[in-house]
Amino acid sequence: MKKLTILWTIFLFPLVVCASKDTTLIKKGEYLSKIADCFACHTADKGEPYGGGVPFITPFGNVYSTNISSDKKAGIGSYTYEEFYDALHKGIGKHGNLYPAMPFTSFYLITDEDTKALYAYMMSIKPVSQKNRDNEISFPFNIRAGLKTWNLVNLSNEKFVPEEDKSEKYNRGNYLINSLGHCGECHTPRNSMMAMDKKRKLEGNLIVGYVAPSLQSVELRRQEWTLKDLVSVMKNGYSRRGTVLGHMTPIIYHSLSNVSHEDLEAMASYLLDSDEEVETKALTFNGHDKKDPGYLLYTGYCTSCHGINGEGIPNTTPALAGNATLNTKKPLNTMLTIIYGIKNERYSQTNAFGHMPSYNFTDEEMTNLINYLQKTFTNIGIKHSLEEIQAFKEEVIKGMENAEH
Amino acid sequence: MPKLTMTINNKQIEPMEISEEIMMIEYLHEYLNLTGTKFGCGQGECSACEIIVDHKDGTSESVKTCINSALTFQGKKIRTIEGHAKKNAKGYAVKLNPVQEAFAKQFSFQCGWCTPGFTNRATLLLEELEKNPIKKEDLRTHISEHLNSHLCRCTGYVKYFKALEDLILSKKGLTL
Repeated sequence: MKKLTILWTIFLFPLVVCASKDTTLIKKGEYLSKIADCFACHTADKGEPYGGGVPFITPFGNVYSTNISSDKKAGIGSYTYEEFYDALHKGIGKHGNLYPAMPFTSFYLITDEDTKALYAYMMSIKPVSQKNRDNEISFPFNIRAGLKTWNLVNLSNEKFVPEEDKSEKYNRGNYLINSLGHCGECHTPRNSMMAMDKKRKLEGNLIVGYVAPSLQSVELRRQEWTLKDLVSVMKNGYSRRGTVLGHMTPIIYHSLSNVSHEDLEAMASYLLDSDEEVETKALTFNGHDKKDPGYLLYTGYCTSCHGINGEGIPNTTPALAGNATLNTKKPLNTMLTIIYGIKNERYSQTNAFGHMPSYNFTDEEMTNLINYLQKTFTNIGIKHSLEEIQAFKEEVIKGMENAEH
Repeated sequence: MPKLTMTINNKQIEPMEISEEIMMIEYLHEYLNLTGTKFGCGQGECSACEIIVDHKDGTSESVKTCINSALTFQGKKIRTIEGHAKKNAKGYAVKLNPVQEAFAKQFSFQCGWCTPGFTNRATLLLEELEKNPIKKEDLRTHISEHLNSHLCRCTGYVKYFKALEDLILSKKGLTL
């Protein structure tokens, strides 16, 4: 018996400890990969998990995400940790420089500890032999060597540094939003080199047909978001201040709905620049002006789902009262939903909102309706001219056409 | 309150005061006693409540009545499920329209809630094919696209589809 105990101690116990350590690391990596949303970009519609092949439409042509499964030939199974680190932080893969559709301009901030966990997870997932698709990039952008110069100008090699005067919670949010979450890749406008414009961080950006709205604290506070609202919209896809739409929906489904409440609170705290909950304000409904030409349009086409007073239908249709999508100077997403409608939005396995049909309004009707919605359900105090609405419409249609081609 | 008037099933409706909050389906049910149009999802998803609007330019479209107010149909010419069958002098239906007959013969529906919407949309398809016939090999795809937005929770669409396909193929001039 004694011998058996000695054998257990010498040979098996270290194995169990190692296995348990590995499992913990892999679990951590899996969680971090959800925050980074690796699955969504590296899994094609009806494709194998992490098999790549998702198209990214850029002004220079289509870039296809690659196989990042643990397959040694088709995937990244043969990558050493150092090579994996370089791909994430420096945008350098085994086959050369990566196109910045891979968000290494955000991932460079990921800590070594988290990178190790991600590596452990990625090496543990099922190998998939799906071959990578060739990119369809026009000359001269198809020469990968040019990306070295791009990286020199646009890629930093700094480490993430917490802000000293801020709380741990705020800095955790700062880290998640700007590194793993790579929120700025969509929400920050791009400069002439198509890199994130650091001076306009999280200012909002028109991307693939949609507006990725401003996430700056000043704007979020003006729109009267609370920490609870932000956690709700990230966790569920909807909140008192409206829903996400378009390309943000799969991000909720695959990524944010799986993030812990604590981390979502940290992200909300960073976005709102507040550790404590801010004052909750009533949803804006300024009463109906029955003489306004937009009134009959609103009651004619919107009320059956969004409610007479813009209250919406719980778990089905968002309220318009106090809706942040309406509460913007350039209500492009509002216009986009009217022109193109919205398909059923599935935010998680148990949450989905209904669809919205598209409407073919004249420019005058669109002007009257949008002005009415903003006047009735926001306090933004803007009245758009017909010409402004026509310009917005052109921008929306052009954005959508570019997104489709 | 604005006065609403329109033509429904070739009958001019007397102008009446209607609240702007009344949806078209409520107007049909509660003000005109035309209860054949069915209220399904109430969110414009299932198409059970669709009626036909005939435009002045000769085109027609199928429009949902649960999400559009009665006032949005001001002055329009409309056909509802009650208008399809031929009626005798007393106003009783004596002959179904071809689509209704095909659906009935094929047992296309069970509870029948979605049938008015299917009938209107299928009737429009027949009228469209009379004007612009299509190739036989494209017919199945065309029917699928046409009926795509209509939901049925009983028969699983197959019988609606089959009835309509058989009807179209049995009529001369609808396919090439």
